[in-house]
Amino acid sequence: MSKQSAAGAAAIDPTDAAPAGVAVTGVRKTFRTRRGEFVALQNVDLTVRPGHFVTLFGPSGCGKSTLLRIIAGLEVADAGAVSLFGDAPAVAAKKKNIGWIPQSSALLPWDSIRSNATLSDRVNRRADRSRTTARAPLDADEVLGELGLGDFLDSRPSQLSGGMMQRASIARGFVQGAPLLLMDEPFSALDELTRESARVQLLRLWEHYRKTVVFVTHSVEEAVALSDEVVVMSPRPGLIAGVVPIDLPRPRSTIDEDTPAFWDAVRRVKELLRTGWTGEE
Amino acid sequence: MDGRGVSAIAPSRRGSRRALGMTVTVLAPVLLFAVLGLVWEWVATHNPSLIPPLEKIAKEFVSRPDFYLSQVWTTLASALIGLVIGVLVALVIAAAIVHVRFLAAAVMPVALIINVTPIVAIAPALIVAFGFTRLPHITVAALSVFFPMLINATAGLRSIDSQALDVFRSMSASRWNVFVGLRLPTSLPFLFAGLRQATSAAMIGAIIAEFTGTNAGLGATITNATFFLNLAQMWTAIALSALVSIILMGIVALVERLVLRW
Repeated sequence: MSKQSAAGAAAIDPTDAAPAGVAVTGVRKTFRTRRGEFVALQNVDLTVRPGHFVTLFGPSGCGKSTLLRIIAGLEVADAGAVSLFGDAPAVAAKKKNIGWIPQSSALLPWDSIRSNATLSDRVNRRADRSRTTARAPLDADEVLGELGLGDFLDSRPSQLSGGMMQRASIARGFVQGAPLLLMDEPFSALDELTRESARVQLLRLWEHYRKTVVFVTHSVEEAVALSDEVVVMSPRPGLIAGVVPIDLPRPRSTIDEDTPAFWDAVRRVKELLRTGWTGEE
Repeated sequence: MDGRGVSAIAPSRRGSRRALGMTVTVLAPVLLFAVLGLVWEWVATHNPSLIPPLEKIAKEFVSRPDFYLSQVWTTLASALIGLVIGVLVALVIAAAIVHVRFLAAAVMPVALIINVTPIVAIAPALIVAFGFTRLPHITVAALSVFFPMLINATAGLRSIDSQALDVFRSMSASRWNVFVGLRLPTSLPFLFAGLRQATSAAMIGAIIAEFTGTNAGLGATITNATFFLNLAQMWTAIALSALVSIILMGIVALVERLVLRW
């Protein structure tokens, strides 16, 4: 236990096999394309401690989304193991212990915002009946209210702006109440200003509920502003270049991002990216 | 003074322009119908063996409405029963195709052959097979409905948002969950498009099936009229076929507006 250093998010301690948080060991993934085999991930190790917000950061093609999909059980690794609180991804999914927040809002257009937020109540009811789930569902109206959607509970997604739809999608993930939330670039389709306000609202919500989060982005500022640790990945083949701990004080939703400490963290992330990646060839 | 005058006039002008637009959209088809009616009347009076005047069609219907309504009912019943059967079979097969990949490869060529075989050619064969009952009429209607419904339903059930599917899969949703919660609602616009095609196809199928081997129904009324060169009866039956088809499509469109509210 003493070996588990505060900074070593990516270091797997073989003596510490406690099924806490997310543990990825030796994961490899190749895709067969017309031009031959493409190594998306090569021997990736990663740990995410419970209650931490960890971001996978890197240029497109570095395999960060693939890694997130493998953690979610949406893709299967060719080699290696993934443990989510002691369960394999498929088992954790069966127990409804994974909340997935996709890149597009992917709301159901025929359902109200409230009904969208409570989707997890209607899908895979077996997990709830058998009490195998570790999820603690949150009140949909409350979460939507915290995200500024209190006046839109009965609206349909088409009546909302892009930023509001994305927040509703985030609400759906939180309302499920799973111990692990996986977010695949949820803000990438938003314009810069909407994106910043959505980020602050996510921060506020997360600092309230403190779920374990793995977040994927290719924005440095977003990664630094949100995370406890930024995992920097480099492409061809996809691997982890290093981990930058972000020691900015919390709650961060109220503090000014324009501080020397913030830009110092941004600089460290960018430096690490440059050592593993020389740009698009 | 001048500027105020302009600003006072502008909104009312815009309003009147919108009213004019509305009038045009209503008036344009009415005008076209009037022109077509005049052309029809002109041809009918100058060439009475070609088509009957419109007033003769109206008089024909008014002279024996019970007869015509009973023919409409006969055809409508065959068409509607065929429609329901054809739609249900198509939906079940589409749902199966979407879930079992090899089924699509097996079913699609058969469905295609059913589609390309002229329905006019099948109708007499079915009457030989099933005898002088309503069954061949229903079957022809159902066969006409099947293909457009199958194609639309399959496309609709497949058109789901892959990222929404990811959300379902991340919770280990059952196939039933995905079908009811995602596939079916996603496919509804496609199903209604198919249904609109299918209703007119069912009416056409039922009418064609009545061309031979029966004395009842709009189809039989049309063929009987040809034997006696009864133009008024023929065109009354034709007009009623068109009217019934339009009403059916209107009902489908109305249900669609009530169901697809997103």
